[in-house]
Amino acid sequence: MANVSKKVCLLGDFAVGKTSLVRRFVYNRFDDKYLSTIGVKVSRKTVSVPHHDQIMALTLMLWDLAGSEEFSAMRASYLRGAAGGILVCDLTRPETLNSLFSYVEDLSRLNPKARLILAANKHDLVDQHQLSETEIATAADQLNISYYLTSAKTGNEVESLFRQLGRQLI
Amino acid sequence: MTAESPKSQDSPPLSSGENNDGLDELIDDPSLEALRDILFSQYRQQIDTLETELDGLEQRIENKDAFVAMIAPVLGDAIRRKVRDARPEMIEALYPIVGQMVVRAVSESMQDLARSIDAQMRRSFNVGTWGRRMQAEAKGVSSAEMILRESLPFEVAEIFLIHRESGLLLWHISRDPDSDSDSDLISGMLTAIRDFTEESFGRGREGQLDEIQYGERRILIEAAQYVYLAVVIDGIEPPGFRTEMRERVIEVSQAHEAALRQYDGDPTPLEPIEEPLKSLITASKPVQLSSGQKRFLVGVSALMAVCLLTSCLTGAWMWQITHPAPTPVVIEPSPTPTFTVTPSPTLTPTPTPTFTPTPTATPTFTPTPTSTPTFTPTPVVGMMMGNVWLHADASIDSPRLGVILAEGRPVEILAAAGNWYRVRWSPPGEAEVTGWAPAQWVGTLGAIPEQIITPTSTPF
Repeated sequence: MANVSKKVCLLGDFAVGKTSLVRRFVYNRFDDKYLSTIGVKVSRKTVSVPHHDQIMALTLMLWDLAGSEEFSAMRASYLRGAAGGILVCDLTRPETLNSLFSYVEDLSRLNPKARLILAANKHDLVDQHQLSETEIATAADQLNISYYLTSAKTGNEVESLFRQLGRQLI
Repeated sequence: MTAESPKSQDSPPLSSGENNDGLDELIDDPSLEALRDILFSQYRQQIDTLETELDGLEQRIENKDAFVAMIAPVLGDAIRRKVRDARPEMIEALYPIVGQMVVRAVSESMQDLARSIDAQMRRSFNVGTWGRRMQAEAKGVSSAEMILRESLPFEVAEIFLIHRESGLLLWHISRDPDSDSDSDLISGMLTAIRDFTEESFGRGREGQLDEIQYGERRILIEAAQYVYLAVVIDGIEPPGFRTEMRERVIEVSQAHEAALRQYDGDPTPLEPIEEPLKSLITASKPVQLSSGQKRFLVGVSALMAVCLLTSCLTGAWMWQITHPAPTPVVIEPSPTPTFTVTPSPTLTPTPTPTFTPTPTATPTFTPTPTSTPTFTPTPVVGMMMGNVWLHADASIDSPRLGVILAEGRPVEILAAAGNWYRVRWSPPGEAEVTGWAPAQWVGTLGAIPEQIITPTSTPF
């Protein structure tokens, strides 16, 4: 079985749940402290995806980028060479959806062919939702990408999110 | 009592129309002077006291010893407090001094160590040290430095070839086959750290992160256009290793430029890069000869040995030609001596009593003891210094006895006549041989006793 690696960046505002998504299902070797020291932490997620009537092992090298402002200057460096991006917003904070557009702009400028997917996170906090699925769908449509309503807490749709991105990357 | 200004409100005001003469008179007024004394006497005393103290202080500052004595009691406390309250600041201030001192101390210790090893090297001798000494001479360093350099550990632990832009691992080689499979994560984080460093410290400057050190382990980094090479090493890399790294990474980058420029994450087409990378591990190890090279060296050594032996034999032959021996052939003496001379001193008493029974009353008895004592020569030990014919007489013209005494034979010197010795050789279990040999070919330990020196060459 062929093995291909791709660099994927997780983008989104501070505290939208990027690191929790990564922590939920991917293999971590490094401590989260790297996020607060150099603004990024690299993890790995291997998914099996169909490719030319075969199953291919796709290794997603996930670059979890710190969402805080202090590392915004570093972001361009970390985005270089990315084949894909996971855009993460928080369903309880509408502003996190709006800021995704600037992240997309940054990523697309450096990597025009990068594939994107949207993860509307914290789906488990139903009572606190301030974003509807319609709004998420509209934003995804504007960006011409697919979306998933995920919950890092329950694991809802997280695996599907990575698998779908993997299919897009091949 | 509070001080008041000389221009207090109680002073008589001076109209602007008064001239300077009037002012001078007022200043010189004795009553005003008395008033000044009353008002300012205390301050004048204080000023005098302060001036005295200031003079003393100036003297103590100018006098270095006095100044040191003055500040010494508080200096220690001041430094301690400063170190406690502003440690980084103190370290920064002291580093240029302390750092140099430490460097100097370490350097001197290293030199002492080198001298010690060098002395040990000079005291002992074996093939290994001799070879090392020759190598050191050739490289222009001392043998101690050679030993130090050889004793410095160096080993390549891992090699990462990483895509420069994405941080994806292209190839990984480890000396430990059971190493964990997180090399791709390491390459990603290494790239992130590299990007962070360049972004933070490299703005507007040429250069890049080329080394990360953690304890004894270091990561050496060399970058090309599309890839960079990270080599994890233990110890100190030998001279030229970085150049080797640079050459390898440029070689790989150029050889696979098309694949690396638009790397799609599949490292399969890059398999040929493994050999150039492995050469870095080989470069880090001491040179090991292959079996073919070893055979070649053995052959060359044997050939050299044969040449050396031939030269020695030729030299010996040439020497023999230029310095001819009495005979080039050694003939062992025949078991049956053809000539035996046994000097036996003879004592021949010849008592000839004659009794004549005659009527004469005077019998005559004439004992004629004819005693001719000859001395018994004490054997003198000698050794043949060459292969020499034995002669029947002490003359080169005398007939040879058919016997050659080989060099190194022990002989007894029985007599000496002129430049000839009469010698006896007694091989164990065989008949002894006696004859004359030239004295120059017979070595002796001491002088020849006069008793055996014969003025004539006549054998006994």
